[in-house]
Amino acid sequence: MEHFNSTFTLFLSLMIEAIPFLLIGVFFSGILTFFVSERQLLRWMPKNPLLGSLFGSCIGFLFPVCECGNIPVARRLMTQGAPASVAIGFLIAAPTINPIVFWATWTAFRDQPEIVFLRIGLSLAIATLMGFLFSLQSDLSPFLQPSLVTSLDARRKREQGRSVENSLLSSGTFFLGKSNNPLPTDDAQAMNTAMMEMVNQPIGLRIKLLVEGMAQELRELSAVLIVGSLVAAVIQSFVPREVVLGLGQDPVTSIVAMMTLAALVSICSTVDSFFALSFASTFTTGSLVSFLVFGPMIDLKAIGLLLTMFRPRAIFYLFAVAALLTFLAALVLNLFL
Amino acid sequence: MAPARSNSLKISPKAIAWIDIAAIGAWGILLLEYWFTQKLSLLIHPSYNPLSFISGILLLTIAAYRAWTVVNQSRSKQPLPIVPHLSLLPNGVGSILLLGVAIAALFITPQPFNSTTAIQRGVGEIITNTQVKPQSFRAMTKPENRSLVDWIRTLQVMPEPDTYIGQKVKVKGFVVHPDNFSPQYFRITRFIVTCCAADAYPISLPVRLREGDRSSYKPDSWLDVEGTIIVETLANQRQLVIQANTLKPVPQPDRPYDY
Repeated sequence: MEHFNSTFTLFLSLMIEAIPFLLIGVFFSGILTFFVSERQLLRWMPKNPLLGSLFGSCIGFLFPVCECGNIPVARRLMTQGAPASVAIGFLIAAPTINPIVFWATWTAFRDQPEIVFLRIGLSLAIATLMGFLFSLQSDLSPFLQPSLVTSLDARRKREQGRSVENSLLSSGTFFLGKSNNPLPTDDAQAMNTAMMEMVNQPIGLRIKLLVEGMAQELRELSAVLIVGSLVAAVIQSFVPREVVLGLGQDPVTSIVAMMTLAALVSICSTVDSFFALSFASTFTTGSLVSFLVFGPMIDLKAIGLLLTMFRPRAIFYLFAVAALLTFLAALVLNLFL
Repeated sequence: MAPARSNSLKISPKAIAWIDIAAIGAWGILLLEYWFTQKLSLLIHPSYNPLSFISGILLLTIAAYRAWTVVNQSRSKQPLPIVPHLSLLPNGVGSILLLGVAIAALFITPQPFNSTTAIQRGVGEIITNTQVKPQSFRAMTKPENRSLVDWIRTLQVMPEPDTYIGQKVKVKGFVVHPDNFSPQYFRITRFIVTCCAADAYPISLPVRLREGDRSSYKPDSWLDVEGTIIVETLANQRQLVIQANTLKPVPQPDRPYDY
C-alpha cells in the first residue's frame, strides 16, 4: 500500500510537471504545420549533413521545448521534409540548447559557471555528432515507425512526381484558384499530404486545424507519457536511491551513477539543474555534467514518446550512442580537468 | 498498423472525438482542481503552480473549442480535412487511458511521502554531506527560530557539531525510525522538493528521548520537537543530536514539503 501511495504521488507529480511543457511542444508543432510553409523551412536548412545537424541542434533557441515537447516538433520537422540530420540534431539538443534551460542552469550553478558552459557545449557537440551519424544512413525508414514512413513516402512520391513531370500519367484533380499541380486522388495519403500545404489556407481554417491537431497530438502523446511516467515512478519507488548513488563516487562510477539517476528520475530538462545542484557537494564535476547532458537526451519517461517516432531498435542505438559519448566526455572531464 | 487495430475496437469516430474532448477537459479540470485545493503542493514546487494553472485553462479551452467544432461539424455535415497523424496506440485507447488517469486522480488524493520513502531515499546520510545549498543564509537567526531546513543549511556552512552545543531547538517534522539507532532515538524528518516529488529528498536530525523509547512516537506522525543540542556518536559517527524536552503531536501541515 505504501508503495502504491508513493508510486501514485510520483507518477502524478511527473505528469503534472510534464503537461505544461508537452503543451508547449504540441503548440510549436502545430505552428510549424499550419503557419510555416515547407518551402520556407527547407530554404533555411543547410544541405550539408554536418551543418544540417548543427543547425538542427540550434533550432531549440527558436522553439524552447524540453524533452516532452521536442518529440512532436522533431516528428513534424521530418514530415515537413527536413533532412534527418536536422531532425535528429534537434531531437537530441533541443531540450538543453534553449534559452529557458540555459537560464535555469545558470541560476542553479552561478557559482560554477563552467558547468553551465560544459553542459551547453557538450550537448551541442554530441547532438551534432549524432545527427551526422544518422544522416550517414541514406534511408532511415527501417528505423522509423511505419506510420511516419508512410507519410514520408507520400511526400517523396509527390516530389518525384513534380520533378519528373509525369503528372499526365497519374490520375488527379484540380481545384479552381489553386496551384497548377493536380491533387492526386489515387493515393489517399498523398492527397492528405498535398492538402497539408496549409500555409495557403485561410487563417480561420488554419486556427481550427491548429487546435484540432494540438488536441490530437496532445491526446496521443500524453497517453504515451502516462505509460512512461508510470514506469519511471514504479522503478523509483521500488529501487532505493541509495542503490543508484551507492554505485560509487570515484571518477568512473560516479558518472555511471549520475547517468543512471538521470535516466530513472526523468525530470524535465528545464528543472533538472536544480536537482543536480543537490548533488553538487558530493559528486564530481564530470558526473554532474553527465547528468545534465544525458538526462535531457534519454530518460524513461521520454522513451514512450520516442516510440511514437522510432522503432525500438533505433531508440536502442540513440540510447547507446548518447550514453557512450556522454560517458567518454565526462570521463575526460573527471580525469584531465 | 494503427487503423487495423482501431477497427477491431469498433468505436465510432464521433464517439472517439467525444472521448478525446472528455479526456482533455478532464485534465484541465484536474489541474485547476489541484491548484484550487492546493493539492499541487503535494506534487510540485510552488513556483510551478502558475504553469499548471495556465495549462489547466488552456486544456479546458481546447476541449471547449473542440466540442464546439464537433457540434458544428455534425450540423454542417462538411468534414474538416483530415490531418494525418502518427499513432502508436490504437485510436481511442490513448484517450480512454488519459480519461481514466484524470478521473482516478480526481478521486484519489495523492499522499505525501512518508518514512518508508525517507529511509529508501537515504534519510541517514552523513549530515555534513547534506545536499542543501544555503540559499538565504542568516547567521543572526536565533537558534530556536531555525526550521529543520535552516538547521541543515547552517550545518552545511559550519559543520562542527560542538559549535552548537546547548543551543535551543524548535523544529517540526515527521518521525522516522532508522534501524541502526537504539530505541531511545528517532529522526525528525522533512522532505525537500526542488521541482517535483520525483526529486524530493529527506533531511533530518536525530532526536534523543529523555525517557522511554520511540514506540510511543509512531513513524510518520508529525511532531513539534523542542529541546537543546547535544553531541553524540550515533551509528559510528559523531553528530549533532536534539535532546528532546517536549514533543508535541501536530497535524500534518498543508505543505508537507519544504523548499
